[in-house]
Amino acid sequence: MKLISKTILYYLLISLPLLIIAGFLSYFLIRSELRDGTDETLNHEKSNAEKTISSLVEPKIIYLSSDSLSYIKPSIINFTNTILSDTSVFDKTEEEHIPYRKLSSYYNYKGNTFNITICKTTLEEEELLEGLLSAFALIVLFLLAAFFIVNWLLSKTLWKPFYKTLSGLNNYDIKKHEPYVFESASTSEFNQLNNALNKMTDKIYSDFKQQKEFTENASHEMQTPLAIVKANISLLMQSPNLKEEEMNQLQTIENTLKKLSSLNKTLLLLTKIENNQFNENVKINLIDVAQKTINNYSDLIEAKKIELETNFSNDFEINMNPALSDILISNLLQNAIRHNHKGGKILITINGSVLSVKNTGEPLKIKEDDLFVRFKKNDASKDSLGLGLSIVKSIADTYNFSTSYNYSNFLHSFSIKFI
Amino acid sequence: MKILLIEDEPELRKSIKQYLHQEGYIIESASDFIKASEKTADYEYDCILVDITLPNGSGLDIIKQLKHDNSKAGIIIISAKNSLDDKITGLDLGADDYLAKPFNLAELNSRIKALIRRRNFDGNKAIVVNEITIVPEERTVKVNNEQVVLTAKEYDLLLFFITNKNRVVSKNSIAEHLWGDDSDQMDSHDFIYVHLRNLRKKLAEKGCTDYVQTIYGIGYNFKINV
Repeated sequence: MKLISKTILYYLLISLPLLIIAGFLSYFLIRSELRDGTDETLNHEKSNAEKTISSLVEPKIIYLSSDSLSYIKPSIINFTNTILSDTSVFDKTEEEHIPYRKLSSYYNYKGNTFNITICKTTLEEEELLEGLLSAFALIVLFLLAAFFIVNWLLSKTLWKPFYKTLSGLNNYDIKKHEPYVFESASTSEFNQLNNALNKMTDKIYSDFKQQKEFTENASHEMQTPLAIVKANISLLMQSPNLKEEEMNQLQTIENTLKKLSSLNKTLLLLTKIENNQFNENVKINLIDVAQKTINNYSDLIEAKKIELETNFSNDFEINMNPALSDILISNLLQNAIRHNHKGGKILITINGSVLSVKNTGEPLKIKEDDLFVRFKKNDASKDSLGLGLSIVKSIADTYNFSTSYNYSNFLHSFSIKFI
Repeated sequence: MKILLIEDEPELRKSIKQYLHQEGYIIESASDFIKASEKTADYEYDCILVDITLPNGSGLDIIKQLKHDNSKAGIIIISAKNSLDDKITGLDLGADDYLAKPFNLAELNSRIKALIRRRNFDGNKAIVVNEITIVPEERTVKVNNEQVVLTAKEYDLLLFFITNKNRVVSKNSIAEHLWGDDSDQMDSHDFIYVHLRNLRKKLAEKGCTDYVQTIYGIGYNFKINV
């Protein structure tokens, strides 16, 4: 739930009961005020009636109003207190009950008792009360509406820096070279947040950079000792008195060394790709690169008796580093050759902006998601490093190309969507 | 033939010197920038092997100095930094070749020889080994004055053998020479065997002695009795 919705919900939860209570209170207060007013008028009229009685020569019934509901009447009973009560009278013309306030009092004058009854319709007061209450309700509605609008506007303006920071964080990619700079906001809380984030991303970035530099330096540092071992093996091989077993051992050492140095080289390449060290782009024709790569590997393809088919339905040019485009397509083709069987098939197609390399071969033993993961090998016994496809992925990621894999009709298919 | 080796790592210096000494080169070495610049200033060399990262200086500056002095020496960069930038900078400065560590001594030897061949090019210099004659400029091979038509790989293989004649060259170094970086990716030993078989057949057809000895487990030796 959005913060603004939550604020509004809480506000409503608290304000609605309060408003309802306030509504009831004001209803009763206004009503009692109005009643007091009516009662005062009635009392006032009572005094007038008493004055009228004083001026009477002899006791008789006097009607004080045209509807004959208010009157002075000689009475035999005598109560000292004045009774005020609510009553209603059915109005035949209006066909409804009309509320009345009724005063009933007794007055002694010169030995005669008079009953004074005064009725006053409270219809106007009721209407006034109704009017006041609807006005109140209207004000409450206006208040609520204003609250919503103000809150919405505030959230738009006050929270703007927050959303900006949020989208900045979402778009932050540590692999991109720039450390993210969060702009300062006029709200001090957001400023604090941005400062903290700036500090954090700076730290993460510098750690990340150091880590990458370490990988690169470590790989570089390893080259010289590897070179020494390699050179000494070459020298040792020239020794004339080597036994067959010793030769085999030398061969094992050399093969292992070769694997180690190609591992080192490949890791260095991966680091360089991720460090964006291949940043000079030129226009590359994919078909040319594909043809060149096929030529480079024609030996391998022939030796494995692989039938290679190409289908380039259109020319496709892309801005890219030439070394990386070579590596990208080479690795895809190598993968298709390595994991193929003798007399298998490879199909290379360019269709629109998609390059696919399809090859025959055993179904995958590892999960599809693991294909592009470093050192994940489908066949542990095969003499590969398990880095070829991670390089493909790494290059694709650098340029935001999408990679995909599927297996159907006994064909593994790797596709790169350029752009 | 005088070669200067500028390399700070003593063990590597020692093995390179040992290997190249057997080729009959006069080889001197320098372990840091200062010694290297003194030597290059005082003496003439046919070929200079230079490491880029050196104590108290950069090998690239030595190349600059050599070019400034109009030195005729061929320059091969041997660097641990296999970076494209270094390679391009080095070659732009006037270096003739670039070899990334770790390299094979046989490969270094073949690069030096190729460089010297290009440098000392006066007239059509052919490499003659008994009945085999190779003209590197034309990439042609003759056996007993008869042309042998070789594929590019077979030619490269033969030249590599002859360059490193009477040496044991491992299959790995052959693979690296023929396929470069790609040799990591393939089961190259089988391909070497295929190319070698074809090469031997083509040479034998012209009546060439089979000089290639198989050294069990390791590789081959192009053996020519002196």
